[in-house]
Amino acid sequence: MRLLEVRSLKKIYTTRFGGNQVQALSNVTFSVDQGEYVAIMGESGSGKTTLLNILASLDKPTSGEVFLDGKNIVTIKDSEISAFRRENLGFVFQDFNLLDTFSIEDNIFLPLVLAQKTYDDMNSRLKPLAKRLEINDILKKFPYEVSGGQKQRAAVARALITQPKLVLADEPTGALDSKSAMNLLKIFSSINALGQTILMVTHSIVAASHANRVLFIKDGEIFNQIYRGSMSNEDMYQKISFTLALLATGGNDVE
Amino acid sequence: MNRLFYPKLAFLNLRKNANTYIPYILTCIGSIVTFYIMISIYGNKGLDTMPGSENLKIILFLGTIFIGIFSVIFLFYTNSFLIKRRKKELGLYSILGLEKKHIARVLFYETLFSSTISLVLGLLGGILIGKLLFLLLLRMIHFQIPLAFSVDVFGLIVTAIVFLIVFLLTLLTNFLQVKLANPIDLLKGGEQGEKEPKASWIVTIIGLISLGVGYTIALMVESPVEAIFLFFVAVLFVIIGTYALFTSGSIALLKLLKRNKKYYYQSRNFISVSGMIYRMKQNAVGLASICILCTMVLVTISTTVSLYIGQESMMRDLYPLDVGIIGTASEVDPLATQSLIATEKTKANVEVTDVLVFNFNQIRTIRDGNLFLPDNLNESNSDAMNYEAMSELWVIPLDDYNRITQSDKTLTENEVMIFSVSENYGENSMMFGNNQFSVKEELESIPMDQKKGLTIGNKYYLIVKDEQTMTTMLQSLNGNEQSNALQAATLFNLKGTEDAKMLFSENLEGSLAQTNPNISMDNLYLSMSEWYILFGGFLFLGVFLGSLFIMATVLIIYFKQISEGYEDCERFEIMQKVGMDKKEVKKTIGKQILMVFFLPLAVAFIHVGFALPVMIKMLAVFRLTETSLIILCTGVTALVFAVFYALVFMLTAKSYYKLVKQER
Repeated sequence: MRLLEVRSLKKIYTTRFGGNQVQALSNVTFSVDQGEYVAIMGESGSGKTTLLNILASLDKPTSGEVFLDGKNIVTIKDSEISAFRRENLGFVFQDFNLLDTFSIEDNIFLPLVLAQKTYDDMNSRLKPLAKRLEINDILKKFPYEVSGGQKQRAAVARALITQPKLVLADEPTGALDSKSAMNLLKIFSSINALGQTILMVTHSIVAASHANRVLFIKDGEIFNQIYRGSMSNEDMYQKISFTLALLATGGNDVE
Repeated sequence: MNRLFYPKLAFLNLRKNANTYIPYILTCIGSIVTFYIMISIYGNKGLDTMPGSENLKIILFLGTIFIGIFSVIFLFYTNSFLIKRRKKELGLYSILGLEKKHIARVLFYETLFSSTISLVLGLLGGILIGKLLFLLLLRMIHFQIPLAFSVDVFGLIVTAIVFLIVFLLTLLTNFLQVKLANPIDLLKGGEQGEKEPKASWIVTIIGLISLGVGYTIALMVESPVEAIFLFFVAVLFVIIGTYALFTSGSIALLKLLKRNKKYYYQSRNFISVSGMIYRMKQNAVGLASICILCTMVLVTISTTVSLYIGQESMMRDLYPLDVGIIGTASEVDPLATQSLIATEKTKANVEVTDVLVFNFNQIRTIRDGNLFLPDNLNESNSDAMNYEAMSELWVIPLDDYNRITQSDKTLTENEVMIFSVSENYGENSMMFGNNQFSVKEELESIPMDQKKGLTIGNKYYLIVKDEQTMTTMLQSLNGNEQSNALQAATLFNLKGTEDAKMLFSENLEGSLAQTNPNISMDNLYLSMSEWYILFGGFLFLGVFLGSLFIMATVLIIYFKQISEGYEDCERFEIMQKVGMDKKEVKKTIGKQILMVFFLPLAVAFIHVGFALPVMIKMLAVFRLTETSLIILCTGVTALVFAVFYALVFMLTAKSYYKLVKQER
């Protein structure tokens, strides 16, 4: 079943005085099925973040359409957009984005509180999730008291607690040491195995090698994609490295 | 390296940080202006020639010291805020290779520039605004000849020295900050994760108790004299209570709310409560200070406004009739006085009405129930309680009373009629030594005086059978000591223009002094001009201190808004990503700021409410007894202040939202 469908997305930024125009996305089309684990790779400035922001409904495209579960998120009214985001999307960011004025537990509860759930309901959702993410012991602590890996797992818990249709992850391993990063990637794989659809933007070949499918983006366009098929993580790693090398040299030829 | 490098860098820094440095420099200029004006008015030679100026000068002197202390504290506060904001920048310099002594040099030049600008503009502004305010003050105190307001060189020098020292001290503390910190710490600046504040129940309880004690004292005060003594005790308790409750009580309350899961986990409370905990931690001391400043402004201004507006009624209280001429009966010829009055009144073109001529004896006694004891108070054994029991008696023979009131009352030797100025006498008899008098009648009114509300001690008019009885009464009170001589009084009112009344009063005083030096004249109009100076001075100072406090409040609010803005824009973003829409975010943040900034005002109003009874009693010492007038003045002052406060809040809130939006 198609969960996410992106059709000829285009985004042009205009500098403040209308002088220069920068094309961040020129023509992006792809789709993501229910239960897929997709990584998007590309160099800095390739338009990854712009794409993610549009998918997150934080930004509007210049033209093109994005359907989530059949609903066009480009045309959603501003007043409904926050509720839509809350109900359908979960976010994991590179710099965690936990609020330092809340305990870990309250940070995780935040989207549910905004959705006006009762405390008992929230608590019953949190318990199994916290156990799975191994953050039971730190729930009462504050973000500045725990490690980066723990913060990121808390952020994952916050993304998952609303049971979103799609989890969007922006460089989730970017600020983690390799051990914590590996741990997090295992968690992503396991929640994906339980049926959670994940879309991850990353620089890291290791991170991308855990996904079922990797999209490569260059100069605002989808350049190539790799399906895992029956490949192991190691094979996947090799293939991605090869494609990236090709991307770098091939890109030069084009210019 | 280029010698101009450091000054240039310093100048660039000031320009780059203009949005925080401009308010800082304005604060400095404001403080310098106020300080200089106070000093120059204090040192003005012309002021010495005004009657009653000694009192004013003492008030001004105290005011100068107060403003000095206040400016120092406030400038240190703003400076510490500035340097905290800039720590990151300084850390960057040090990582880019500037040694600490180089950073110190940059800081030195920055301070040099900002203090030079502040001093030059401050002193210039002081001279200009000083001139303006001085004219205003003179207008206020109805003084006829405008004094020249010259540039006070001494004042300029003192102000410059005081503020140079202050700037030097702030520079030294900045040096110390840079010296103590290492670059990494500087770079992180205020960003280190903040610990969740802990509520101290002990401090909260101490705060509650001292606030309670302060309020109780304020409410329990019964007499005007007590009020002056106890007011400062109450103020002290309230200040302690305010600080304790703002710092600890607020957090304790929020923690309680947080513990209530049902309340806490609701979208409209969730973010507010936890956000407020941190806000209160950072702002408690500042907010408590704002609260106390507001209270001071309100009390000062409403007291002085009440005094100023109420002074005519206060004078009425002292002088029931416009003019009173009093002298020892044996030395005064009433007819001669009458003819003097007659001559002067045609000269000055005024009418003389309600003339009362009578003899009386004035006795000061201590009243204890119905027993009257001789007044043997002197400096050493006088305390507040004795002042309360002090009773002044005016004993008047029946004949004079009957003549004045055109009645034909009769009294026997042991009977008196009594008129009490404040509460009714209430007893059936009066004891003077072994001599008992029975009270035949308690009069409701008397031509030479009127009923008053609060007074210090009491004043009774006694009507007795004749002068013989008066002597007996005096002798039984004082034993065999020489009794007071009989006094002759002529009281009357005046009608005419203000100037004519004034002229008449001055002329009459002169000619009376020529004919009989032992005669004394009390005069409403002459006293009034003296009192105008005193209360005009009070009012000037009240309004002046008030505006100073308001300035301080405005700037504290501005700095708070800006510093909050920097921290909030990050939270603003996260919350939006998690699924809160812009409007909601703006609403919750707005609500928090609103609470934070109006809390001090609300508490200040409560403080003022409790201070009101004390103020009313204290003003009675100045013979201002119109309770409704005081309440009205306080209410209007509070209202004006609230409007002003709200205006400042709105303006700064605007710059806050701009900041939050811009950062995005």
